[in-house]
Amino acid sequence: MNDERTATVDPVTLSVLWNGLVSIADDMGTTLRHTAYSAAVREGDDFSTGLFDARGRLVAQGNFSPGHLGSMPWVVRHVLDHFAPGDFEPGDCILLNDSFMGSGHYPDCFMTSPLFADGGLVGFAVNIAHHADMGGAVPGSQIVDVREAFQEGLRILPVRIARGGDLREDVLRLILGNVRLPDIVRGDLLAQRNANAVAAERYAGLVGKYGLDLVEAGINTILDRSEARMRELIAALPDGTWSHEDFMDDDARTGEPLRFHVEVSVDGDSIVLDWSGSSGQVEAGINSYINYTRAYSGFAVKVFTDPHLPQNEGVNRPVEIRARPGSFFNPQFPAPSSGRAINQIRMFEVVCGAFAKMRPEPAMASFSHWSNPVIGGVDDRPGRANRPFVFYDVIYGGYGGRSHKDGAEALCPVFNASNIPVEVHESQAPVCVRRLEFLPDSAGAGRFRGGCGVRKDVELLASRATVSLSGDRHRHAPPGLAGGLPGARGETVLNPAREAERLASKETRDLVRGDVLSFRLSGAGGYGPAAERGEEAVRRDLADGYVTAGAAREIYGFDTRKTP
Amino acid sequence: MLRLAIDTGGTFTDFVLRDEASRASWFAKTLSTPSDPARATLEGIDRLASVRPFRLADVAQILIATTVATNAILERKGGRTALVTTRGFRDVLIMGRSKRFDTYDLWLDKPRPLVPRRAIFEVDERIAHDGEVLQPLAPESVAAAADRIAAAGVESVAVCLLHAYANPAHERAAGDLLAERLGRPPRNRPVSISLSSDVSPRRREYERTSTVVANAYVKPIVGRFLAGLEAAFASLGFTGELRIMQSNGGLTTPALAREYPVNIIESGPAAGVLASRATGARESVEHVITFDMGGTTAKVGVIDGGEPVVTSTFEVDGVNLRKWSGLPLDVPAVELVEIGAGGGSIASARLGVVSVGPESAGAEPGPACYGRGGGRATLTDANLVLGYLDPESFAGGQIRIDRPAAERATRAQVGEPLGLDLAAAAWGVHRIANANMERALRSMSIERGRDPRDYAMVAFGGAGPLHACALARSLGVPRVIVPRGAGVASAIGLLEAERNFTVSLTRTLELDAAGAAGELAGLFAGLETRVRALAGGAGRPIAWQRHAHLRYAGQGFELRVPLPPGPIDDETPKRLREAFDSAYEGEYGYAQRDQPAEGTDWFLTGRPGEATNPGTAAKASGGGGGESGPEAAPAAGPQAGARGGEPSPRTVEADAGSDADTVPDNEGRGGREDRLAAGTGTPANEPRAGGRAPPEPAGTVTAWQPGAAGGGTWIDWPVFDRGALRAGDRLAGPAIVAEPESTTLLPAGDTARVSGEGNLVIEVSAKEPMERRERRERNA
Repeated sequence: MNDERTATVDPVTLSVLWNGLVSIADDMGTTLRHTAYSAAVREGDDFSTGLFDARGRLVAQGNFSPGHLGSMPWVVRHVLDHFAPGDFEPGDCILLNDSFMGSGHYPDCFMTSPLFADGGLVGFAVNIAHHADMGGAVPGSQIVDVREAFQEGLRILPVRIARGGDLREDVLRLILGNVRLPDIVRGDLLAQRNANAVAAERYAGLVGKYGLDLVEAGINTILDRSEARMRELIAALPDGTWSHEDFMDDDARTGEPLRFHVEVSVDGDSIVLDWSGSSGQVEAGINSYINYTRAYSGFAVKVFTDPHLPQNEGVNRPVEIRARPGSFFNPQFPAPSSGRAINQIRMFEVVCGAFAKMRPEPAMASFSHWSNPVIGGVDDRPGRANRPFVFYDVIYGGYGGRSHKDGAEALCPVFNASNIPVEVHESQAPVCVRRLEFLPDSAGAGRFRGGCGVRKDVELLASRATVSLSGDRHRHAPPGLAGGLPGARGETVLNPAREAERLASKETRDLVRGDVLSFRLSGAGGYGPAAERGEEAVRRDLADGYVTAGAAREIYGFDTRKTP
Repeated sequence: MLRLAIDTGGTFTDFVLRDEASRASWFAKTLSTPSDPARATLEGIDRLASVRPFRLADVAQILIATTVATNAILERKGGRTALVTTRGFRDVLIMGRSKRFDTYDLWLDKPRPLVPRRAIFEVDERIAHDGEVLQPLAPESVAAAADRIAAAGVESVAVCLLHAYANPAHERAAGDLLAERLGRPPRNRPVSISLSSDVSPRRREYERTSTVVANAYVKPIVGRFLAGLEAAFASLGFTGELRIMQSNGGLTTPALAREYPVNIIESGPAAGVLASRATGARESVEHVITFDMGGTTAKVGVIDGGEPVVTSTFEVDGVNLRKWSGLPLDVPAVELVEIGAGGGSIASARLGVVSVGPESAGAEPGPACYGRGGGRATLTDANLVLGYLDPESFAGGQIRIDRPAAERATRAQVGEPLGLDLAAAAWGVHRIANANMERALRSMSIERGRDPRDYAMVAFGGAGPLHACALARSLGVPRVIVPRGAGVASAIGLLEAERNFTVSLTRTLELDAAGAAGELAGLFAGLETRVRALAGGAGRPIAWQRHAHLRYAGQGFELRVPLPPGPIDDETPKRLREAFDSAYEGEYGYAQRDQPAEGTDWFLTGRPGEATNPGTAAKASGGGGGESGPEAAPAAGPQAGARGGEPSPRTVEADAGSDADTVPDNEGRGGREDRLAAGTGTPANEPRAGGRAPPEPAGTVTAWQPGAAGGGTWIDWPVFDRGALRAGDRLAGPAIVAEPESTTLLPAGDTARVSGEGNLVIEVSAKEPMERRERRERNA
């Protein structure tokens, strides 16, 4: 590192450069969202973007999904392990979706492109999109109920999928021949290519305007300042070790709960999160590969230090994530992992619990667990030409009560995507959403109550389909914090108006036309004793229907006759 | 012909009277009277008439911009509103899109919906995405909702049913039933109804619900506001045309503004952007950052290459300028960011630091210094304490401001809680307000890839020129332009606007399909009927512009592409498709020419009262453009063509330093405020007789000169009367330029000259004054 040069970047140029780098990452995201084909990407924001320098150091990322963002630096390392710098040419795109190299399951396809200026390699653009299908046992390629990764779909180790900006038809044939929705996958791969092309042009423009020396010096300054700030924040935490644990319902195969255990150690200006005390890896598609573990651990550290820190390598330097090889959080291939997305909530909650022991604020009770069902099959309604479909859904409930206010309602927990509009879903897949509403009385009571659980009922309009369920908190209710009560447990009910069969939180089922799946998310945990909740807050909840009169009376001791 | 422009802000109401024959203009400013806006309007008209006598009966057109709708939302002071929706979907509005606007902040909250859950009612019905009725509307469920709405004492009802964009039948039936039941005895209380299929028939239920709810929420307030104005104008004999500015920069009728007030949310700001564009054009600047700061909010916009950016969706009431943090509105608007930072923003000590806004003292009761019972310290109070505002001439001298009251409030509410002396407290308020505004400026420039060094900032609004130079410096903007009439610039912008009506429709249509041309023609014929109905007078000349939202089949976001001009024929879909491929390639680098393309939303804009220009705005098939209409007067002034037609601004010679005596050519696109007079009637931009004698200050004032580390000293600042400045005059900071509607602060190191257009053009020094002084001291 050339510190002499670092000193030469004036503050105005540095701030323009820094914002310029972040805005490139943002623009990549806009391009990806606007040119993508799958609902998950274009409506659900299930994608991320980042920018790296020629040495593979993370320089900037967009405001996207932490699981992707935290995995990205390792993706670039794996790409550089497989390609020498001299192998790259402008317009190249390298694709990978390996669970160990990427972000832990096959639908997440990372595309890395070299960036050039004046004929030289100056950096890399990376984006990741959650693809609608990558083959394997079920539509959508997310299934907990499998034994090994080979059942989960097509595994792609780093491969050059584009040259000169054009996707290679031969590689494309290999991929598209193995997926259920070749048109959509192809469209999303093109969108990923577009995003990197935008970065290539913008980054070259930046280097052209300021010169490579200045850009590199600026990046050094940015990374060093970010690191220094992170160290300062960690140093402000008390030294010591704190641990916390909680459990997931089960792994859909053994019926045994999964232990999530973290040990947080602060030593001066560095911090270690160690997951080694957790369950061992399981023969079910739910293991958290090390990149995914790193990603959400790093996310939690940032949340509890300064949420507004920049996203770059400097911030990551003082943070170390450990997990015993062969454990649930560092499984070894071919451990299956396609349903791993449901882990991140509990991972955050466990880290949150450890931090709550370290210091009282900020803290939050447990989330309402989200649900990530995928229904797939063939749309055989008249006029639909038997088109294959994948209905990918994300259903979000509330946040736990917080140390100074109620939990937010219906907000994406932890990973931060958006929901998918009912009107968009129904115009693309053979489903009819019958209802989408809050569940009264589901929230954990407390001085600050949790957010409510959510009910969403989905009816199948095709003659048959398969659903992979991915949820949790059917057995272990979301705990409250500081004396707050737990939220109501969640449940998944098949045909609530008929036989009302209760399904497990994670399982795979066949459906027929007219079947209705009713997802009822758990309520989030409360914070502080319910008796301390203000009368006005209870009255408001009653008027808005978040609590019923009975619950207001029993839990809060509220005299409903006093209601004006 | 006389035209009168009135911009009703949260704090001030601004007036410009223009004589289109002589191109002379006169300004005035009054305090807004939010409880009865017509009162301020009449006061302002009186004030204007005292400068330039005129009768309202002689005014051909009155143009209105207003922030009443925005402020009602920002302050959650709209009408009591209910929402009626499909059973099972009561919580769509509260759920929103469920994304945190900041990924790493888990302590944030979503924006508070305009309707609480208790006022959301469900009706039994269901329509599919293709418009098919799955379950007929049950009238008894509507009746039940109506009874509960009546019991809740609601003034306005929004109706948003699933897939209503595809089939509005249920919304219309429910709307009729609600209106009938709520309006009949014994209640007899007409309640206004807004239907999502009328307001914004676009797919995505949350965004559509949010839009129609906002419409309903501001409807009562906008309705009362316009009714009050119409009555007041009529009482003064006004018989001309009344037009309202819309968010997209076009003008609309009072009836339509009343029915679709969500379209005027950004009314005043849009006018301000038009004014900035005109100012930039006159100074030969086509990249402009517009900075408009009034009593309640600050708004930042951008003009790239001479054109303001119009978006088809935007957010109101956002937090920290982050996407997803505000309430989305699916209606077209000039792109702006707006934050709660204005002169009236309340300053306080919160959590041990200085906090400014977003809460505003507004005009009633106003800042502490107004002495109207508002005891809260505000930014205006801080600026008064710092000596930057003249108590004698504030807002044209019509508001008596009380410096001791400002000092008391600033000291008690900011200084003492934080252990700061008076000057440090006031300077802290000033600086924090600047920091808040800097974020807004960054988000429009740097964060969207615009290098501030390529831009000039046009600063206006009552408080804009007071903060502009410091902001420009911190951002690296090299030049600030304070237009003539900076304090009333948005009102001037109204005179630059044109009248237009945009209607739209969501319908998915494959461009490559057989029969696409016929469908397109039918679709636009329907839209044209709607525009003609809106525009009134069937035979009037109308200039047409058509746009489509296009995508490759299977994608979810669209590009806005203009349709080829001329009648729709068999070639149109193909040419539209080619235009889309090119636009897509331009935007994203690659086209997908082998993929089917489709349109989703179709837009038709009609500009009545203009000759159709076949080069740029072709009429739709079957259109009746070109016929001469019964109404003679064009709706907009001679500048109107600048927006709708080909922009061809005549380059006005820049003042290069040697042409102090030159008044540039007054021909061209017109609208130059030649022989412009300030509110006092003083002649303005005539060159100074006898050449180059430097202007004399009208006096001096003791004001705060900031120093290093929050310190500073009181020094004497020369004060110049802007009305006495002449083209070619040059000033060096520190200096204060006072005019009746606004005050420009010229910090040490910055230099200003008065251009041939009468604008104050400031070259901003790159360095903070304190840094320069320290360097000087080091060198000495």
